[in-house]
Amino acid sequence: MLSAIRVAAIASNTVREAVRSRVLYVLLFFAVTLMLFGIVLSSLSYVESERILQDVAMAAMRVFGVAIAIFVGVNLIHKEVDRRTVYTILSKPLTRAEFLFGKFAGLVLTIWLQLAIMVACFMGVSALTGAEVGAGHAAAFVLLGGELALIVAVATLFSSFSTPLLSSFFTAGVWLAGHLTRDLRDVGLRSNSEWVGEAGVWLHRMLPDLQSFNLTIEAVHGLPVTAADVWLPLVYGAAYTTLLLLAATLIFDRRDFR
Amino acid sequence: MDAADAIVRVENVVKDFRPSFGLRSRRVLHGISFDVQDGEIFGFVGPNGAGKTTTLKVLMGLIRASQGHATILGCDVRETAFRQHVGFLPENPYFYDYLTGREILSFYAKLSGVASRAREGRVSELLDWVGLSAAADARLRTYSKGMLQRVGIAQALVHEPKVVFLDEPMSGLDPIGRKEIRDLILRLRDEGKTVFMCTHILPDVEMLCDRVAIIVEGRVRHAGATDAFLGEGEPEADLVLAAVPADLPAQLEELYAASLRGHGDRLELRVREKFVQDVLQATLGAGGHVVSVTPHRTSLESIFLHAVEESSRC
Amino acid sequence: MKPGSANRVVVRGALLALALAITIGAFGALDATPKIDRGEIFVPPAEQLRFASFGFDAVLSDYYWLMALQLVGDASKPVEGGSVAKLIDVVTALDPWVGHPYRFAAVWLTDSLENVHAANRLLARGVAYSPLDWRNRHYLGFNHFFYMGENAKAAGILEGALHLPGAPRYLAPLVAKLRTEREGLETARGFLASLVETSADPRTRAEYLKALDEIDTERRARLLDQARSIYKKRHGRDIERVEDLSTGQRPVLRKLPPAHPHFSSFAWEIDPETGDIVSGFYGARYRPYEHIRDKERRQRWLGDAAHVSRES
Repeated sequence: MLSAIRVAAIASNTVREAVRSRVLYVLLFFAVTLMLFGIVLSSLSYVESERILQDVAMAAMRVFGVAIAIFVGVNLIHKEVDRRTVYTILSKPLTRAEFLFGKFAGLVLTIWLQLAIMVACFMGVSALTGAEVGAGHAAAFVLLGGELALIVAVATLFSSFSTPLLSSFFTAGVWLAGHLTRDLRDVGLRSNSEWVGEAGVWLHRMLPDLQSFNLTIEAVHGLPVTAADVWLPLVYGAAYTTLLLLAATLIFDRRDFR
Repeated sequence: MDAADAIVRVENVVKDFRPSFGLRSRRVLHGISFDVQDGEIFGFVGPNGAGKTTTLKVLMGLIRASQGHATILGCDVRETAFRQHVGFLPENPYFYDYLTGREILSFYAKLSGVASRAREGRVSELLDWVGLSAAADARLRTYSKGMLQRVGIAQALVHEPKVVFLDEPMSGLDPIGRKEIRDLILRLRDEGKTVFMCTHILPDVEMLCDRVAIIVEGRVRHAGATDAFLGEGEPEADLVLAAVPADLPAQLEELYAASLRGHGDRLELRVREKFVQDVLQATLGAGGHVVSVTPHRTSLESIFLHAVEESSRC
Repeated sequence: MKPGSANRVVVRGALLALALAITIGAFGALDATPKIDRGEIFVPPAEQLRFASFGFDAVLSDYYWLMALQLVGDASKPVEGGSVAKLIDVVTALDPWVGHPYRFAAVWLTDSLENVHAANRLLARGVAYSPLDWRNRHYLGFNHFFYMGENAKAAGILEGALHLPGAPRYLAPLVAKLRTEREGLETARGFLASLVETSADPRTRAEYLKALDEIDTERRARLLDQARSIYKKRHGRDIERVEDLSTGQRPVLRKLPPAHPHFSSFAWEIDPETGDIVSGFYGARYRPYEHIRDKERRQRWLGDAAHVSRES
């Protein structure tokens, strides 16, 4: 069984590392800059400029959230092995699963922290321009948090056996494909070949259905969002994330640190 | 002491590494076996690339043995719980350099299950013990190599382990640093801990270790008490002679199987102890002078070189 | 300073200046205009864009919206309807819940029947995604009536907007007027009368009652039309004044009906342009107003379309 104390120790140290490193601040800075740029961009439109501003700001949050998740996620384990910090840590009474879950939890916390800063910025920019913010926005932010956690898990899985560069390509690929699978399935079903249709359906089942975490349009237009629109993707995401982490643990457990 | 009470026990450990997919695997450890007894300083000696660190990583659970079995304190090394009683200092240890000395020790203490009440006191005590109290609140990235090595030792000891594994603890340190680490290791033994030490620096082994295993190309070549090693073979002595006549060196070499080196009329030679008297008489009789006579101890180095030579022959 | 180092500073300074000069010069010489003129601006098909939006539908939609604005706002070129149609198609396919772009399309896509059809397709999408917004229905109904002459269809569409929040009061009378042509005056009257009963707002009621007055007047005008044709048969000539119907020898009517239900000072007149009998209060008969040039254009468009469809 995992020990909460040790997982928490690894997690809190991971957060501390992130807070003390400069790279994430740079990314955060760009995200905030892009949001402010949204004000300029939205002023180009003579109507619905508040909506455009929020569209741009939420896109910025998604892009930079995912960038941070991939960038930090793929380095998660590799950096520890590369700098050999993992040697002393794993020589302590700590299972590899505890280490992996701790790193993951710490990273997700870090990203949620960044997301919270970006949300605060979003609220600020919205208030500045008089754009409305409602419950739909809260739902969209929560689901974005879920999507980012899932992406970190994907990155963790790949980085448990691959190099950071390859892992980041793989993870970015899964992220892109995860937003495509619904359309791929529909395209497949429209194809004449039954085989292609079946492939599309299976692709949709196997890859994470990330489009279900996207409530941007609903939030911005104030369209009705049901409770199931939020909790179903969250449950799905949590389960999928757990599967990814378990797979990562299996691989990580068998790994030699030469 | 009985082998059954061995603190560390390695039996026929084999490790194959596969460089990458599809390539043939390479055998790094060819069935290593040895024991470490309670309370001793055990030296694990071998040239670079002999498999010292690999063996140590198997013991620390960082690498899985392909075959064979290893236990520490009676527990399979693949388990984790017993590491409560194990400390480990890797070669050239790296730590999170964004933490301070105090933070990193507190972090390791938490991982090792040191109760939160005891943690702060234990960390301060250790910082003091390794002489880092003054730098305790500076980030590790400002530490010198010697200081990092001491942090490494401190983290290995933070949870008061029964056994401590040290990989090249003296590497890359200046003479003062090495002296300090040597003193720390001796203090560990005085506190009743068992120390397992990998090194290729032989004088350190001679000075510190109770027992030694020599590993060459993935095989244990010699194992036993350091003193027994050093006592092996016939005692010899080194002589330095001066004003030696020209024909004397050849004569000594032939009669007493002396190995010699000459500088002008000065001659240095090593002979078996029982011939010392005869050599001195011959020298004085030929009109030479005796500068010095020193008894010679067999060094670990010669045994070591011998073992390496042996393995390269077969 | 050593004598050599001064030289070095000069050489380095000269190199720097030279490199700077070449950079600026070469940059100026670069031809920044694109070598290929695409003519129409390039807009990828909406379906492909949706497919490759990776969850950024909203912001992509905004991008093409801003592009559409730039296109229309560029005073140096005439607005090219096809591009606007494509852009707004992309904008609304990526984010069909947008509001204004649909009406923007309706405003700018009026230069050909083809573009009006495109605007109508877009507006129908707007109606489907924002069924509670009266404005898209309003524009769609207007297009059917004004550009395509499909009054009954226009009436059907506009009727859907009557009770939506914010819908203007004049909509119901307009619908009634549009329905008259196919369904007759009595249906239009019944439609408005039922609205009068159900509307709670007094100002809306007043608006509807005014429309009912106009229908009553039209009913009387039609009566006069009948009388006029009897007069023609009886006398072998047309009336010169409306009063001829009730005066002189063998009048068709004993008395002329009032030209407005409430304002008795208004009289019936003959419209010099159309020759119709009209109430002096309204100055025109009860039918959707249409400028003669709008009518001509519509007939030309519809004629062309019929011609094209016959050929194909």
